[in-house]
Amino acid sequence: MPEIHLPASGLAEEILPRYQDKKQGFHLVTFHLGEEYGVPIHQVREIIRVSGITMVPNSPSYMEGVINLRGRVLPVLNLRKRLKLAAKEIGKTSRIVVAEAGEKVIGLLVDAVSHVIRVAPESVESAPEEVLEIDTDYITGVGKLKNRLVILLDLEKLLRRENIETSDIEDQGGTHGKED
Amino acid sequence: MEYSELVKDFLDDAEGHLGVFDSALLSLEKDNYHREVVVSTLGPLHTLKGNSGMMGYESLKVYIHQIEEVLKKVLDQEVAIETVIDALLDSANVIREVLQAIGNNPSSNPDLTDHILAIQKRLSGTDGGTARREIDLTSYLGTKTDTIKVDFKRFDDLLNLVGELVIYKTRLNQIETQMRGVIGSKSVAKELSGGLELMGKTIAGLQEGIMRARMLPVLHVFGKFPRMVRDLARPQEKEVELVFEGEETELDKTVIDEIEEPLLHIIRNAVDHGIEDVKERVRTGKDRRGIITLAAGQESNYVIIQVKDDGRGIDFDRVREAAIGKGLLKADDVPDKEDLVSLIFGAGFSTKKETTDISGRGIGLDIVSRNISKLNGQITVDSVPGRGTVFTIKLPLSLAIIPALMVEAGEEVYAIPMSAVDESIKVREQDIHVINDHEVIRFRERVIPVVRLDEFFNIPGNRKNRFYLIILGRAEKRLAVAVDRLRGQQEIVIKPLDDTFGKSYGIAGASVLGDGRIVLIADVIAFWNKTLEQRKRGSEEQSDPASGPLFVRAREQEV
Repeated sequence: MPEIHLPASGLAEEILPRYQDKKQGFHLVTFHLGEEYGVPIHQVREIIRVSGITMVPNSPSYMEGVINLRGRVLPVLNLRKRLKLAAKEIGKTSRIVVAEAGEKVIGLLVDAVSHVIRVAPESVESAPEEVLEIDTDYITGVGKLKNRLVILLDLEKLLRRENIETSDIEDQGGTHGKED
Repeated sequence: MEYSELVKDFLDDAEGHLGVFDSALLSLEKDNYHREVVVSTLGPLHTLKGNSGMMGYESLKVYIHQIEEVLKKVLDQEVAIETVIDALLDSANVIREVLQAIGNNPSSNPDLTDHILAIQKRLSGTDGGTARREIDLTSYLGTKTDTIKVDFKRFDDLLNLVGELVIYKTRLNQIETQMRGVIGSKSVAKELSGGLELMGKTIAGLQEGIMRARMLPVLHVFGKFPRMVRDLARPQEKEVELVFEGEETELDKTVIDEIEEPLLHIIRNAVDHGIEDVKERVRTGKDRRGIITLAAGQESNYVIIQVKDDGRGIDFDRVREAAIGKGLLKADDVPDKEDLVSLIFGAGFSTKKETTDISGRGIGLDIVSRNISKLNGQITVDSVPGRGTVFTIKLPLSLAIIPALMVEAGEEVYAIPMSAVDESIKVREQDIHVINDHEVIRFRERVIPVVRLDEFFNIPGNRKNRFYLIILGRAEKRLAVAVDRLRGQQEIVIKPLDDTFGKSYGIAGASVLGDGRIVLIADVIAFWNKTLEQRKRGSEEQSDPASGPLFVRAREQEV
């Protein structure tokens, strides 16, 4: 394990602790959604192929459905839709990343899983303010690798209710649910 | 449940109460008077008294009543605790001995007259405190108990595991069938089948065992109402007797917990609206005392609970008037009895002009109907003017594993809880009519609304000319859900859906099938709401403020 040096700017201090496993250092599982994204390896339980997704009606559009993970009913989030990226059909390389976010376990539908990488702490910085909006605080930083960038995601923030915009379908559910 | 089991329950329970009483007395003896400590003994003693009465231990009941009197005098500071503490400590021993005697011989009914007289004497001061009585030392050990208290969560975990076991078993059976196709009926295949069959039986036994362990007699709920009925009836100058039938019928604890509130509302209604006051009953030639019967019984996979009263019955003319007043009916509407009955289950409906303590605010029966639906049950009402009203509730035995009808719409499979289903019929597209933009079907001389499953859940696919209607029942109302195909009935294990992304309207949960596929369980309340919504759109009354907060609560309780 290389020693971790915090940059003098201090920006990474806020970012790093969330991504640091005391013993393992700073490892990410990265996947593709056009750009390359990464989540801390200790949050990832497993990566599975896409099959047998049951659609759930009257749920937000980014809710892909539920899958059976060894008897457990696991919700699957379409990460492209959640991040408001252009939609893409499920293909051969598509995977579901089973990840823990706080108390919850969810599946993240991604185009392809790249690999596990180690990011040197000094190469992480927060995303430029100019590209962030109020409701995008789930992007916690950018890892600068040799010739590519990895966008670091905070899953808990990604799932937080107030961050999830009310989708058209939820609106519909609202009028239905008035009586409930 | 056998009587001896009831006695066992009573004894287990009694020892808990006696234990509280005992330790409170010891603390009083050591630290002198503390009002809170005395008060803390009253609850357990009162319960013990009630249970003793219910079990027919009349003398014990009277005795405990005397102890309560003593404690009340202490609280009122008429008597100093120091002067009665010995008598009280003795009394705990007396109860202990009585419990032991009952434990040794469940049919015994110890006579405590002497003790009752003694405690009265002591109180009245004619007895200056006698020497402590001798007590059989082994009675301190209490009766041996056959029961243990277990955190309910553990049973839930066990049941979940068994549920998964059932799923894997089904999977193995499917593999077995496939294998037979490949290797034919060689002896190894036969052995596998035999083994699987035995395992299946064991799993079924395990499942039933755990389900049974979660069961409680419905008396746990029934027993809460006699006092309420008495307290409700008294100020209204009514005499009401609450009678139990089949109170030993067992139900899953989750159902027991959920059934309390609906029963409370129905019984409260029976006292407030059903049973007449004494004057009126005498005038109409009825017995002074009204009788409300709480009855429970089992029918195959369901439990039937009835609340019967011999009161005035539902006044359908007044229901009609009230409905017109609220704009739910037009003055020239000619509703039939079924329409009117379903109206009383509507939100904010009450015919009563004045309000009693907790009744008549126009909330209640709508909550009942909702809660019952939530439990995948059904409720019906039968009422004869002048003779009384019967509410009948039909519930699944368990909330965790339920029989469900598997239906298909497009490529999707949904499970509909059987307990909500009356029957299913095969129809053709031309049987469906459209009234005011809503689809209906003529069914048994009634016109009932049709909800299309594919439309409701936005399921893509082409409709066929022939399809099926699932007839759902709720009180007197019927509703048809249109589906493409029926897949048959199956026991399913209900798993809640994760609500990270919000609740999915119309979905009550999910279940994993033998082939690993997930099916969603339809929330029948949502179908009803859809028709209700259509009805409301037609009327001017858009929302009922009185019902608002309660609906919110009902929703929060949903799993």
